[in-house]
Amino acid sequence: MAFHTVGSNKRKIDGAEKATGATVYTADMRFPNLLHIKVLRSPHAHARILSIDAGAALAMSGVVKIVTGADVPGPFGVAIHDQHPIARDKVRYVGEPVAAVVARTEREAEKAARAIVVDYEILPFVQDPLAAMDPSSPVIHENMMDYKTLPFVRRVGHNTYQHFKVRKGNAEQVMQQADCVVEGDYYFPPAVHVQMEPHCAVAKYGHDGSMIMYATTQAPFVVQTTISELLEIPYGRIQVIAPFLGGGFGGKSDITIEALVACVAKHVPGKFVRLLLSREEMFSGATHGRNIKAHYKLGFDRAGKLLAMIGQCVQASGGNADYAINVLTGTALSGSGPYIVPDLQLDVYGVYTNTQPIGAFRGYGHPEAHLSIERLMDEAARKLNMTPAELRMKNLLQAGEANGIGQVMHASNGNVRECARIITDKLWGQPLPKAKSHCLVGRGMAAYMKTPCMPSNAQSGALIKLNADGSLTLSVGAVDMGQGLHTALSQIAAEALDLPFERVLFKTSVDTFSSPYDWQTVASRSTWGSGNAVLLAAADFKRNLKTEAAKVFATTPDQVAYAKGAVSFNGQEIPLADFATGLRNLDGTAITRPFFGQGNFVAQGVQNPDLDTGQTNAAADWTFGCVGVELEVDTRTGETTVLRLMNAIDAGTIINPVLATEQVAGAMLMALGSATSETIIFDEKTGRVRNDTLVDYKIPGIEDIACQTEVFFVQTPEESGPYGAKGIGEHGCVGTVPAFLNALRDATGLDFHDLPASPDRIITTLKGGEPK
Amino acid sequence: MDKQVTITINGLAYQATVDTTMTLLQFIRDEAGLTGTKSGCENGECGACTVLLNGKPVRSCIILALEADGAEILTVEGIATDGALHPLQQAFIDHSAVQCGFCIPGMLVASKALLGRYPNPSETQVMEALGGHLCRCGGYKAMSEAIQSLKQ
Repeated sequence: MAFHTVGSNKRKIDGAEKATGATVYTADMRFPNLLHIKVLRSPHAHARILSIDAGAALAMSGVVKIVTGADVPGPFGVAIHDQHPIARDKVRYVGEPVAAVVARTEREAEKAARAIVVDYEILPFVQDPLAAMDPSSPVIHENMMDYKTLPFVRRVGHNTYQHFKVRKGNAEQVMQQADCVVEGDYYFPPAVHVQMEPHCAVAKYGHDGSMIMYATTQAPFVVQTTISELLEIPYGRIQVIAPFLGGGFGGKSDITIEALVACVAKHVPGKFVRLLLSREEMFSGATHGRNIKAHYKLGFDRAGKLLAMIGQCVQASGGNADYAINVLTGTALSGSGPYIVPDLQLDVYGVYTNTQPIGAFRGYGHPEAHLSIERLMDEAARKLNMTPAELRMKNLLQAGEANGIGQVMHASNGNVRECARIITDKLWGQPLPKAKSHCLVGRGMAAYMKTPCMPSNAQSGALIKLNADGSLTLSVGAVDMGQGLHTALSQIAAEALDLPFERVLFKTSVDTFSSPYDWQTVASRSTWGSGNAVLLAAADFKRNLKTEAAKVFATTPDQVAYAKGAVSFNGQEIPLADFATGLRNLDGTAITRPFFGQGNFVAQGVQNPDLDTGQTNAAADWTFGCVGVELEVDTRTGETTVLRLMNAIDAGTIINPVLATEQVAGAMLMALGSATSETIIFDEKTGRVRNDTLVDYKIPGIEDIACQTEVFFVQTPEESGPYGAKGIGEHGCVGTVPAFLNALRDATGLDFHDLPASPDRIITTLKGGEPK
Repeated sequence: MDKQVTITINGLAYQATVDTTMTLLQFIRDEAGLTGTKSGCENGECGACTVLLNGKPVRSCIILALEADGAEILTVEGIATDGALHPLQQAFIDHSAVQCGFCIPGMLVASKALLGRYPNPSETQVMEALGGHLCRCGGYKAMSEAIQSLKQ
């Protein structure tokens, strides 16, 4: 299929505004008589709140209000109602909000927060996921079994709030007959999103009972729903506006600080209140990602055919788990990797721990499972005397084969074998570079599969408005957080309406009052879901246009032709622009009515996951790919340099190759951060996050980029996607970590089962010690 | 304690009485109302707040407004002149270096200072100039290419 706009490298529609500093982010907005919120946070990982004395603080200069857990509703949640906007009775991690001070200035609020006296009864705490499962560990939610939940929550008891089983055949029995068995423990430690823009929310509760909020959110409609339920404000009276985001990566999905801000706003009616998190609070008072310990066992026959897989994944979900529980679904759905696994037994557990709550993080449970599987595939290859590529090729999924949850793959799901072939050729197709003195070089690969992992009813909407100059304004409910979504959607609209790209304008901030509904901008689902809504809106627009044009031409709509921004019939042509203000008869009477194009999309036939077997049609689509890493290790310093980093991905038709490449490469760099330096260090005595600065939690800088990064697109059109497209935002995170560790093993013989493979740990291990 | 300062930002003099603890970043954003310069960490660790002070890149979040009294400041808003994008801005856009955009104001002024000093910067010089400027979207390579494309 030949396209005129889809597939071309259009410049980002917001580039000039961002490059001139003109883009207004939430914290850049100015409000009349703005009040500021500072949050007093728990210094204890686990404690009972005995009393809070805010008397002295309330009397301090500039202080307007102090709100504690007793003043706000809760618990609230979607899947499991286990969290409070401000802690009540108990705190469950260091950093949990205990009180919120509202004052004239941020500084006054901060001073007053320090003057609040809280009396705690300190309780023993637990942070390790496996330890928290042990019946001897402290119980974090005493009333867990009584919480309101959705039907898919399977509480076990003690601290275990979820158990998701995937069952296919009889893995235990088949494992005994395997010729080659590999197994091991793997740990993906907590990761922090580190969006450059800290969380910010500004809200005003009106005297008329309405609420308006501006927030750094990927999920304005989730925020609207949650606030409505929490504060019992009618849904329609809540307006949530999401301006440009300075990065999301999952950390601004669902609801974050917005619940607290809404509750506080309700206590100071008529006033705008703002909470802007400090960088330290972004580490201690926001969600983390990952934090899964896994044990996997893989059994093969002599020829390298994968016979059975047994896996157990345990996530340390933190002090509350309303968001973590859905990440576990991601791990369960993808927990067998991109392979044919005839017999599978997978147990995924969610466990409360006294750590920051786990939330969505680019990759959503998939990188965690792939860490184990892709490391073990390499180990099996060594045992079976095969190359990593040979063993994978024998087992990768293809059309007609069922994946771990029993969904039979069809050609449109993509070609993972082709992805693996590309990486094999590119990575091993040229001689290994000669190592510099004191250096070792090595190569590794990892294949991957990813599902969007979203509710079966996740909807997307789009609206097309015609302007008097013949341009169109497109609006959707999905947020652009830097990924280039609005540019990609403009390309889809321009393609569908046969218009130059420049004639499609975009309403870039999402407003729950006027933007079409969208579940939330997560799961790499928006180019696909909103893109489908845009296609439907374009079709509706053309239909309405032809209906109106038919009146002018005195014919029927099916006789009207549309091309390149004009309608025609019988040699007469009318440009689109004329319909914006309306066409008239000679006597002045109106002929045409104004119209929008509207489109609303929801995937058909997606089912809820089955928690007893996992065998359901629970994924709307799948995306496959393969990562390759070539690296060099300096044996004197332990430093690694990635020489070549490559990803072959079958993400269907690529709408904008440059933007898509940036997404895949950016996600891979983020994953390299996890592989080489990023991890949260909890203080053993207090349980607090010790490395809560950008110096101590080191994300990749310009000095850390790979010498060469290559992204290859295998463009098998996705049947369910707009022009065959599907998502691409998270996928670079999925296989990169195990590919890196496999390359490190190849270079040095060091077998890292956890992260990060930092220079000091590499040096210690090279010298024969145990990595700390 | 309050003190009066005059700071010239993008060619315009701003005079204000400021608290002695006010940072240059707060002066730029709150007193001058120029919100293009971003606050990412307030510890001088991320580079988002970088501005040019008398031509040199500085982290405006760890400099006091008092210290900038009498200085000439250039922020991202001052790079484009006469309504036209600076070639550096255009290059960033053309190389798809602008993603979420939050680090870009700091990246751009640091790059401008680099090109002022070395019109033909080497890759190492680019790396040194942008070292310590964090971009979580991972757009470093595109930025580096954008800068290199302006070599004379």
